[in-house]
Amino acid sequence: MQLYKPEVEAQRFWNPYTQTMPRADLDRLHLRKLQTVIAYAYAHSPMYRKLLDRHKVRPEQIRTMDDFVKRLPFIDKKEILDAQAVSPPFGDALAISEDFFHQRFATSGSTGVPLHIPLTYHSAELWGESWVYGFWAAGLRARHSFYFAFNWGIFAAFWSAYMGVRRLGATVVSGGGLDSKARLRQIEQYRPDVLLATPTYALYLGETAREIGMDLAKTSISHVYVAGEPGASIPATRRAIEELWGAKCYELYGIAELGPTNPGCPLQGGVHLCEEWYHALVVDESGHPVPYGEVGEHIVTSYIQDGQPLIKYRTHDLVRWTDVPCGCGTTWLYYPGGVLGRTDQMIIVKGVNVYPSALEALLHRVAGLSEHYELHVARDAVNDFVTVKVEARAEIGEDRYASVGREAEAVFKSVIGVSIGVEVQKPGSLPRYELKAKRFFDHRPVEHRWQLTGGPGA
Amino acid sequence: MTREETIERIRGIQAEVQRLRQASDNPAIERTMQLLDLYCHMARWELGDVEAMIPEAETR
Repeated sequence: MQLYKPEVEAQRFWNPYTQTMPRADLDRLHLRKLQTVIAYAYAHSPMYRKLLDRHKVRPEQIRTMDDFVKRLPFIDKKEILDAQAVSPPFGDALAISEDFFHQRFATSGSTGVPLHIPLTYHSAELWGESWVYGFWAAGLRARHSFYFAFNWGIFAAFWSAYMGVRRLGATVVSGGGLDSKARLRQIEQYRPDVLLATPTYALYLGETAREIGMDLAKTSISHVYVAGEPGASIPATRRAIEELWGAKCYELYGIAELGPTNPGCPLQGGVHLCEEWYHALVVDESGHPVPYGEVGEHIVTSYIQDGQPLIKYRTHDLVRWTDVPCGCGTTWLYYPGGVLGRTDQMIIVKGVNVYPSALEALLHRVAGLSEHYELHVARDAVNDFVTVKVEARAEIGEDRYASVGREAEAVFKSVIGVSIGVEVQKPGSLPRYELKAKRFFDHRPVEHRWQLTGGPGA
Repeated sequence: MTREETIERIRGIQAEVQRLRQASDNPAIERTMQLLDLYCHMARWELGDVEAMIPEAETR
């Protein structure tokens, strides 16, 4: 007996109807979904009613995609926090009775106050389904088991992946409440097929494995699915994870307050927008959509958040969007390279945009450098300038640090066209992280960082 | 089965589920019918049959 009929299990797409829909039809469907979500938010969320009233726009005035782009305001995390502060934890942002709550999440509040995230059963199922598009495309089915190297806390993190594994009908193996060594022993014992972790942690487990004399490439893990920070869409990082684990590496890009917006492309070079449950724009600093092929800030509308609707939400993530047909066969928008950086990590050196993910990818081209690095950005009178601090691999002698550094500088200069300083350091000299790594250190004055100055109602 | 036929059959099932949900005084049955209602709603969205954001917001 099988969960899926063989002819269904052989399908390439989880939902062929929308995943192969022509762009014009997808856009028409988006408009209908957007109108539905805007009407719902206006009727149920005091925050959205006030926002739309303030901008003198009513849901029935959004008749075309152009209306949506030009008339409807963006919303930022700060406005959600202000609405929640009216009557914590959810205040004016809440759009549904607490009867419907399934789970509550919060962000860490590392940049201020934590943002509270109410999730209904409906939202939870569909957060999960967004992962399933990626799982299914990567060949994962109900017979596979998924190991969660994750402590089940109040942060959304891999909870949505758990919802996805349930939705797929596959098996969850929990690595919660354990240290890294115990997790590796569990992997040996339970023989899961898939590891779910941040890219930083997937690599960190390699150091733990070396300590206990374990070869991760010989474990049962055939797929590593990473999320939480850029990873599998950066070729060198993907290669490092794949070599370490002897497995294929995929990624999902998500945002805590929105959910898993972009499952990975099975061809591994980037992510697709999950157009079933999300709409996106990519805009420049003046708030205008950039043409396909260009980089800008990712602005997302969720069709899932019935507890706390988010429409034209500023993610502050920089992505390049494209509508060119993807080799994997889907018509959904493709973001090559995944997330390229954050708007507050935008670096311009002598007029050239420099993306942190590009620097990471190039760093891995230099033999003798490890995956542990930090980017330090400062500014003189007219220009940003960047220094990369990177650890050498253990097999490289200290007498070679200067020459390896010069080699990395030459790679940056030849590919990006500008000078980037490189300081090579001893192994173990930079901090280690179990979840997301802090790699970006910005020493520039605030006024020299990306600011969205335009847009509807600005 | 075509998309249109699938949608029509799901709509029929959903309407029956909603009637059962209303008629039942058993908490276990009411919750199960509520979830079935939700899954029918999700399936319709997946086929582009978009009427409201959640089942409870649909016209009934």
